[in-house]
Amino acid sequence: MNISKLMLIGVAVVGVASVSVAYAKSPRSEKQIAAENKALMDAVAKGDALWHDGRLGTNGLACGNCHPDGSATNPHTWPKYQTNLGKVGTMRDMINWCVAVPLQGKPLAFDSDEMIALEAYATYTHRGITIAPGKDEQHGAVPVKSGPGYP
Amino acid sequence: MEKVSRRQFLGMSTKVGAATLFTGVFAPSASSFFGLGGVAHAGTKKIQEFNFAVLTDAHLYNIADHKFDHILEKAVADVNGLAKKPDFVLYGGDLGQSGKKEELAKGKAILDKLTVPYKIIPGEHDYYLDMGAEWRGMFGPEHWSFDHKGVHFIGMNSILIKDFWSARKLTPTERMGLLEELECHQCGAWGVGEEQLEWLKKDVKNLSPDTPVVIMTHSPLWDYYPRWNFQTLDAPEIRAILKKFEKVIAIHGHVHQVVYNQIGNIHSAGLLSTSWPWPYPPVTLPHPEIKMNRVDPGNFEDGLGTHQVSLNKDFAGMMDYRAFADLLPENVKRGLKL
Repeated sequence: MNISKLMLIGVAVVGVASVSVAYAKSPRSEKQIAAENKALMDAVAKGDALWHDGRLGTNGLACGNCHPDGSATNPHTWPKYQTNLGKVGTMRDMINWCVAVPLQGKPLAFDSDEMIALEAYATYTHRGITIAPGKDEQHGAVPVKSGPGYP
Repeated sequence: MEKVSRRQFLGMSTKVGAATLFTGVFAPSASSFFGLGGVAHAGTKKIQEFNFAVLTDAHLYNIADHKFDHILEKAVADVNGLAKKPDFVLYGGDLGQSGKKEELAKGKAILDKLTVPYKIIPGEHDYYLDMGAEWRGMFGPEHWSFDHKGVHFIGMNSILIKDFWSARKLTPTERMGLLEELECHQCGAWGVGEEQLEWLKKDVKNLSPDTPVVIMTHSPLWDYYPRWNFQTLDAPEIRAILKKFEKVIAIHGHVHQVVYNQIGNIHSAGLLSTSWPWPYPPVTLPHPEIKMNRVDPGNFEDGLGTHQVSLNKDFAGMMDYRAFADLLPENVKRGLKL
């Protein structure tokens, strides 16, 4: 048996082994699920604060100036070709465009806690809407009666 | 070309949302349906034809050379250059962003360049740092009325909120900060309050029902989307006080968008800001649906503009939205009949 065959068998074994354990999420207890949901809501709340307090920009403006309750961000339509970006981009590209251009701030790292929190907030305010990448549509956020709009 | 056709399409087809939870939709009477609206009721007193301009929601920051300063300057220049000179200008509130003296003074200096007189009411952004003290010092009373060429004009402060700050020991800056968010989580709904209702009753008491009336408030006099304070808590009382008139034209800021409603004798129109546009809230717009197109985020003047309202001798009103960019669908471009 040559080395390449051995490698193939090795890959196959690893593959079989990983299938047996490769759940996206392993079965979790109620407690774990509650903790995970809380982690998401903490990110949403952090995003809400960043969305409104003006610290991302240098001219006083915040995301919330134009996007109350995350409105008009259309998270269900990304990725799509966005004229302002001049390419097919993701929502994070557009968030950074807004930070850099209307807010005159410094773009965020895509994997930063801040970026993830902003995306979590905007997406959560549109929960339940059908995913439609590229759709040329402005969809309202989930109606809110009072309070923050999330648990 | 592509942009125009896309916008025309969107102007006709876009729906903001399907929920009708909070919107107050009132069926207009046949004679007031958009397109026929603006026809004065037979009993309305004849007036002398004239026009006035309307500006609102500059949201000036205490930052030198801010882009919103230049947009307000452009708006003032636009009004000063109108071919049909307006008799005066009404300003609908939110001249400043954080209620700071510097913001209001900067705004006043720009508005003072208007070549005609102006009347102004406060918005929440002018108010909640010092409960309107600086604003009153610069501009005078928060509510007023005057008569002009046969029309009775009324301005009121519609952004008075029940004290939510004392019990929580908020500083003035913290209170203002919360109210700077449209979707303030803790502020509650605002209105004109008892004192102004009493004032309004007295103000219109001796006016005959055929008197043409124009009322300006910062927020709409109908329940549009209370979440964003697109409402006035005591609007039903205001509408009841004004019910005796044949026709009332109501103009409001705060919504930063084209929007129309009619409730009974009150024809109501929202205004464009000179700062940023708000998206339409997730409720069904009143019928007939009057709205602006989607805004290009890359064009900082899109969604903004000035207004000119013309009144003919029968008190038929025409609101011209003078948008700074290609914003208006065909039906709004022709002017909104009030």
